[in-house]
Amino acid sequence: MTLKAIKRKTLFAREDLVNRLLSIAKEQGRSLYGLVNEIFELVIRAEDQGVNLQKAFEERWILKKARKDGFILVPEGLWYEMAEIAYQNSKDKALKRWFETGVWLAKRYMEVESEEPLEAFKRSLKAYSWNIAEMVIEEENEKISIRIISPRMPETYANLYSTFIEGALNTFGYKIAKKEVSFGNIRIEAVGKEN
Amino acid sequence: MISKSKKLVYVSEDLINEAIEVARRDGKSLGAFVEESLKLALSARRTGYNPKEASDLLKVIRVNRTLGGAYIPMDILNHLFKAAYKNKPKKIGEKWYESGMLHGKYLKEKFEDPIQAFKTFLEVARWDLNEVEVQKDGDTIKFRCFSTILTEEGTDMLLKYVEGVFHGIGYKTIRNDHMKGMIILEFKH
Repeated sequence: MTLKAIKRKTLFAREDLVNRLLSIAKEQGRSLYGLVNEIFELVIRAEDQGVNLQKAFEERWILKKARKDGFILVPEGLWYEMAEIAYQNSKDKALKRWFETGVWLAKRYMEVESEEPLEAFKRSLKAYSWNIAEMVIEEENEKISIRIISPRMPETYANLYSTFIEGALNTFGYKIAKKEVSFGNIRIEAVGKEN
Repeated sequence: MISKSKKLVYVSEDLINEAIEVARRDGKSLGAFVEESLKLALSARRTGYNPKEASDLLKVIRVNRTLGGAYIPMDILNHLFKAAYKNKPKKIGEKWYESGMLHGKYLKEKFEDPIQAFKTFLEVARWDLNEVEVQKDGDTIKFRCFSTILTEEGTDMLLKYVEGVFHGIGYKTIRNDHMKGMIILEFKH
């Protein structure tokens, strides 16, 4: 059997990173060369498959947070379909359930996030809405305006989702001043209840 | 403080050439690619994964996004399950199966070990499942999952979805045993 010689090249890397990898390699009883090659190979193969691992790593927190907030990952098309059936079957019940979920989530943020719970809620809401093309949440002088554009979102679902936001805003101390819901579009304006 | 000094590391020539290509595609320097890759591996290790496991997990997260996975409150999902199941159980069951088929086919294309990728997906995305087990024995696969909070309707939909995934990968069901919060399936290639 003949072994094809693998050509090696050198490249510069940050010393502190290399030192840490060196100790990992030592711990695992392998060479630094093997470990570094494995890392590059994984990153390159993922890129070849259209996956940027760096971006994926940055999104990892969303999964953790979603778990704490009681959110689950489900194919979007399926729950649009189910929401449609639930809404047609019992509109009031469905709306009530979505409103209550918004209340629950806002309460959780008010309880757990001691500093700026509304900010944390907005951040999570945006993160969980990666399926939504555009979500803009603006806050100014005790006024909040939310604009959601999602061409795939059926009107039924837009109604339910806006009710969920309403429940949350209500709990954060806002009352709805204006609400506009149609296929793929939600616009909500809310003002502080004390205003 | 972050060290600015550099050290030389050996890498296979083929990989360097590929890395140059990837970096060029992403519009960054080879130096930036190297630093980001090494940092990523070290960050992943801090979360308890080896580079391969971390890469698979992260790919699963991204793939899910590609496939239209979106977050929904569990309570709402249970409500939707109940309402949809009561009114159109067959239609909804078919939709979950079709969605599973699509996922299975996609995982087969994207992953060297699509079954492991699917298991990773269920473990990270479906925290409502207490246990997910996949055992391979030759061309047979035994799939088991248990949950103390999954509803009857939720179990049924998940079962359809799981079957769809395995069928999409290229397996046939040879055993199907389930009850609320428990799914036991066996597949053959």
